[in-house]
Amino acid sequence: MNLNTNLYLILFIFISTNLLGDGGQEKILRDAILKNGYKSPEDLYIANDELLVDEGKIFFKSKHLSLNGQISCATCHINNQGSSDGIPNAAGIRGFGEGKERLLSGAAIVPRNTLGLWGVGSKNFLTFFWDGRVDFANEKVLSQFGTDVPSLDPLITAVHLPVVEIRETLDEDEFVLLHKKETISGAQQVYAQIVTNLIENENDAMKKLANKRNIQIDQLTFLDIATSIAAFIRSEFRIKKSPLDSFIKGESNLTKKQMNGGFLFYGKGNCISCHSGAHFSDQKFYTIPFPQLGFGKNGFGVDYGRYNATFNPDDLYKFRTPSLYNNGKTAPYGHSGSAKSLYEAIQAHYDPFALVKLNEYDDLERHQLYKYFSNSDAANKVNYLTKKEVDHLVEFLKTMDFN
Amino acid sequence: MPLNKLLITLNVVAAISCILLTLKVVYMPFYAKTFLADNYKELMFQCDNVMRDHMIAKNRVLHKKTEEAIKDLEAADIGLLTCHEYDKYRKKLLAYGLTSDDLSLIGLEAIEEKQEDLLMYVQTHEFKY
Repeated sequence: MNLNTNLYLILFIFISTNLLGDGGQEKILRDAILKNGYKSPEDLYIANDELLVDEGKIFFKSKHLSLNGQISCATCHINNQGSSDGIPNAAGIRGFGEGKERLLSGAAIVPRNTLGLWGVGSKNFLTFFWDGRVDFANEKVLSQFGTDVPSLDPLITAVHLPVVEIRETLDEDEFVLLHKKETISGAQQVYAQIVTNLIENENDAMKKLANKRNIQIDQLTFLDIATSIAAFIRSEFRIKKSPLDSFIKGESNLTKKQMNGGFLFYGKGNCISCHSGAHFSDQKFYTIPFPQLGFGKNGFGVDYGRYNATFNPDDLYKFRTPSLYNNGKTAPYGHSGSAKSLYEAIQAHYDPFALVKLNEYDDLERHQLYKYFSNSDAANKVNYLTKKEVDHLVEFLKTMDFN
Repeated sequence: MPLNKLLITLNVVAAISCILLTLKVVYMPFYAKTFLADNYKELMFQCDNVMRDHMIAKNRVLHKKTEEAIKDLEAADIGLLTCHEYDKYRKKLLAYGLTSDDLSLIGLEAIEEKQEDLLMYVQTHEFKY
């Protein structure tokens, strides 16, 4: 063989090795994604109560769902904010507008970051809210309702909670103070009053709902309303086709950065130790040291997380692993929204001190932070990542976004 | 003459009483609200902290009755003495003329103090997609 032939041969081997290598890499990533519980959007959707979607949409957007707070589900679950509200802590009653405008207008603060609704009505989504107040995973039926759970559908049960939360949708007027007993019977009085309120103010929708349920309008209960809202959420916020889904089905490729990010997600970053399963969440609870922003569920800048629901000290500072679908649209991140970008959210897992200004903390605050951070579950799971690696991880996470 | 002396004495007593009353009703509550409220908030935070630690220690014993958990609970019992300082300070503020409502309001401010951080954070950062 002459020199030219040799050169062509080397060039051919180099190109074909690289092509094969790339194909091999794609297969490895696809296999890892599938092995860790990925399910395609069409396999996740549950077509329950689809007939009630239109009425559910009306109630979802109606401020009359709040007994006295002039606020609706849609006030905090905003379409153009990826079904979240774009602010660190939710802005509840006594405010005007949405998102930042509402928070700055003096609304009562609900000291947790609003979670997006993507996929909450899908298969395998069984644990709700940051602290898992509604937890139907592993055949459990845990909620504030004890044995009187309104529905075995966790989403319908979850819809029951925000409307009886003071500051979130309820103001403490005479009626609420009278029934504020932290009991189910107290909550039932509020539910009955909400139904009366909706019959007065959303009469057409209530008539249609009664018709579809084959009952008289005065026989409607809050369970009927919650069922219709759940039907709307299930349909509107279903998981849709994403670039990642196309990649898995072999319909398109990921960019080099996205591929690198994918390998970090399933490899060095070990994100998969918690972000696994059909929603990229194992629906379990961990302490990830996101700095606390705002006064926190327990006041004085403290939020005990899951402990508030279980009173088990092993659950201190733990929060539910959030789903990752459409995460690119739901900043800020963390239970109190203290990470303003996906980059910072990832950073909180392996270098949380980068996100706090320790010199601005007083002694007791620093002590609280130490207590919180020392409970971290991430320290021994997530490896150090370079800036470039975090950027690639962000690119990979964005492949889970859809319109 | 004796009548004049008596009137002067009464005037002096009345003037002193007015000054004392002003001090008691206006100045002392104002002083307490302006200069003592921060201490009160600090003590409230500390008391809240030990009370929560106590509650957690109690729950730990309920969940796992180990010797270590029982020792932690005993320590947390004694730790509750921190709240004695808070109670004393509360009484002091009441003696300064603050009402229970005033103290509740200061307490609420303390619990929600971090709200200011939140508002500043929101004003500083714009979340765009």
